[in-house]
Amino acid sequence: MFRRVPPLKRINKASSNISTLGSSIVNAINHSKSTTPLLSNYYSTIAANENNSSTLPVKSTDILIVGGGPAGLTLAAAIKLSPNLKHFKTTLVDAGNLSENLPKFHNLSSSAYMTNRVVSITPQNMDFLTGDLNLPLQFNRIQPFDGIYVSDGLNDTSRMAMDRESMGNMVELLNIQSSAYMKLLELNANNNTNPIEIADNCKVVDIVKPSTTNATANGVENTNPWPYVKLDNGETYKTRLLIGCDGFQSPVRKYAGIETRGWFYNEWGVVATMKLEYPPFNHIRGWQRFLPTGPIAHLPLPGDWATLVWSTTPELSKLLVSLPSNVFSKLVNAAFILEDGDMQYYYRKLSDAAVDKRIFDEIIEDIDYRIEVKSQQLINKNNSDMYYVDENYPPPIKDTLEKSRARFPMKMFHADTYVAPRVCLVGDAAHATHPLAGQGLNMGLGDSKSLVSVLEKASSRGLDIGSVDLCLNDYWKDRYGTNMMLLGVVDKLHKLYGTRNEVVVGLRQWGLNVVNNLGDVKEFMMNVVSGRK
Amino acid sequence: MLAKKSVLKVAALAKNPQPPLISRTFITQAVITGLASHFIFGKDAQLADNIENGKYSNPSTKSNDTTSIDLFKRPMEPQYDGHVPLYLHEKFLMYLVSSAKSYYHPEDGINIVQLGESTAIPCCLENLKQIMLKDDVGRRILRERPNISSETLEAFRGSNLPPNSVGMTYFKWLDKEGVGPDTRAPVQYIDDPDHAYIFKRYRQCHDFYHAINDLPINIEGEITVKCLEACNIGIPMAIMGSIFAPFRLKKAQKERLYDIYLPWAVKQGLNSKPLINVYWEEIMHKDVNEVRESLGISKPPDLRALRKEQRRLRKELKIRYER
Repeated sequence: MFRRVPPLKRINKASSNISTLGSSIVNAINHSKSTTPLLSNYYSTIAANENNSSTLPVKSTDILIVGGGPAGLTLAAAIKLSPNLKHFKTTLVDAGNLSENLPKFHNLSSSAYMTNRVVSITPQNMDFLTGDLNLPLQFNRIQPFDGIYVSDGLNDTSRMAMDRESMGNMVELLNIQSSAYMKLLELNANNNTNPIEIADNCKVVDIVKPSTTNATANGVENTNPWPYVKLDNGETYKTRLLIGCDGFQSPVRKYAGIETRGWFYNEWGVVATMKLEYPPFNHIRGWQRFLPTGPIAHLPLPGDWATLVWSTTPELSKLLVSLPSNVFSKLVNAAFILEDGDMQYYYRKLSDAAVDKRIFDEIIEDIDYRIEVKSQQLINKNNSDMYYVDENYPPPIKDTLEKSRARFPMKMFHADTYVAPRVCLVGDAAHATHPLAGQGLNMGLGDSKSLVSVLEKASSRGLDIGSVDLCLNDYWKDRYGTNMMLLGVVDKLHKLYGTRNEVVVGLRQWGLNVVNNLGDVKEFMMNVVSGRK
Repeated sequence: MLAKKSVLKVAALAKNPQPPLISRTFITQAVITGLASHFIFGKDAQLADNIENGKYSNPSTKSNDTTSIDLFKRPMEPQYDGHVPLYLHEKFLMYLVSSAKSYYHPEDGINIVQLGESTAIPCCLENLKQIMLKDDVGRRILRERPNISSETLEAFRGSNLPPNSVGMTYFKWLDKEGVGPDTRAPVQYIDDPDHAYIFKRYRQCHDFYHAINDLPINIEGEITVKCLEACNIGIPMAIMGSIFAPFRLKKAQKERLYDIYLPWAVKQGLNSKPLINVYWEEIMHKDVNEVRESLGISKPPDLRALRKEQRRLRKELKIRYER
């Protein structure tokens, strides 16, 4: 997982340290709490590591951002744009090939295809990105939507429609990343006195605290030593403030010894980019149906594209990813309009299908027939006209983009604290949530915004930005409560819709109908989802 | 002067001899009640209700009489042929009346029919529908909507049914009981068309449950089959029937039921495959024992023979010991 540092001067303990680091990180993926014994590994070999495994001099920087994802890059752009912070020497480290991939994406001439990693951004965060940061986002690839339609998978009549103009925007992650990267390049071109240094294609190998001997050189014990970050290209950085935007398996968080609490849901999410039969003409909405196996969400993209996030059991997710794309598209249509008995029948037949093409054709025909019959029944039951299905169900899908189907595990995790001496965590390194409410990156962008304002405050007062008590604690205090609340609510919602218990099902269906009719409660929920306070 | 005043006073007293009957509080109450009922029940409110429910039709396209209120509103349009939509209170009344009548006169078909339809609450039928949708054969039944009537059954009599087939067993049973296949009453009071079909199918397959288990059409046989249906299919009327119907029976009948037949029915119903998923028309030519095995059911003791035997024994013992 981590490549070994090229040994220019071999020290016996160095290699064992790196391999234990690698294996511990691999083990920590499956545990709900990260292991603290790592720190003891560091401290025992501190004296040996300092300045010994490479002959390159240690580079010094003020702010080191580990991770070039959307959270990390927007944070870097915010720091470089802030008048109080742009004088700090900033470095951004990422293991991916940012300098090649991101400009290529930015210069895509048409929206010929859409990537499958798409998130919803609240209007407030959109203002942050377009207003405060003035990122050159590709607006032809962004789709604002005017509402969300939520329904229960065990009932046709239990549903809630939340309608509000521009309740959110569907943005590809690459769009955010590439526009932030281009902004950083632009800022570097305009300001060559203190450009941000972007070290891509560099993996973080190790993060250590410096040895105590060096720190007490002048007789004064350094209680808040600068962390030393070792990259796989041999360079080492020591930094005043280390910001971890490095995702769920964050090495920065492990260095800081911050534990996380949470669990893996026994669910995997299948994402796909889909082509619609016709673009939605009435409202442009997000649709979510809570099936008994997990929620399925259909979110609009520009033109006649749409994105899918279907959380389901691990076995079913494997099955869904392996189906031919025409069968998969039909199954997505069926999941939104047909009943639980139908879906169970299709899952069973497709699991038994092996490599029998005739079964696929039979299933496609059966799905078409059932959707036709069901649409007619819905029209009759609701005494409505032929547009009833268009108003209350998502636009049907024609096809799925090849190679856009992928699956990933669902989890909920929250770090105990976001700050440690000279360390702070932003984004997925601090919290992970189920995508059913579209809050993951919104929380991360809120974190970035809050961190920048906290750093500005400290910097304008001339304080050490790496100090927990003087600077960083405000960030944690500001964000922890909000994030904890969102994580908690999303988790409870997931648990509420994850049961088949008849009493709970009846209550939740009745409850959803009640909330649908109570304007004030709906307004409140819409405010929470769209980020307004 | 004084006299004139006193005359006027007397005249005033004569006009108003006692305290007024209609006091202020009474008037206030009456006015408030009138206003409230005008706003709740008055024509404006009814018109507003109708507009909201979509039942308002522009009076200018019809007669000029805009003051008439439609007294014969039904809850919904008929959803299928023969559908009679009922309000909830009407359904409840039908349930009360037909349950009492069925208890004392179960032989009258109308009582059972009405009891069945008033107790077939949507969640039970919806559950059944999901069971059918999950199964291959059940799905086909819902899609093809086969109808079993006396004509379709008589047609089978002519075709060459192998001995020991389901069809042959059925006709032999019919002959033994001395009845013919009869068309069941149509479903009228169930609102959803899918649910109505499922209930119709349930009714039509009732005779097959008799035939395949060789249960007669006397009251004990009917209660046994009802209990089997209750445990296997879960229709509320069947559950109620199998609990309450035995109360009216004679001691000997009750003993037979509680000792032998009801336990058999419960065990069979709970352990066998759902019987609504059986496509009877397609398995008429199949071997009956194969079908029984695939469904997981086995015959109970022969009820008619048992009754005869017990009656004979009782008579014999009576003659012997009551001399």
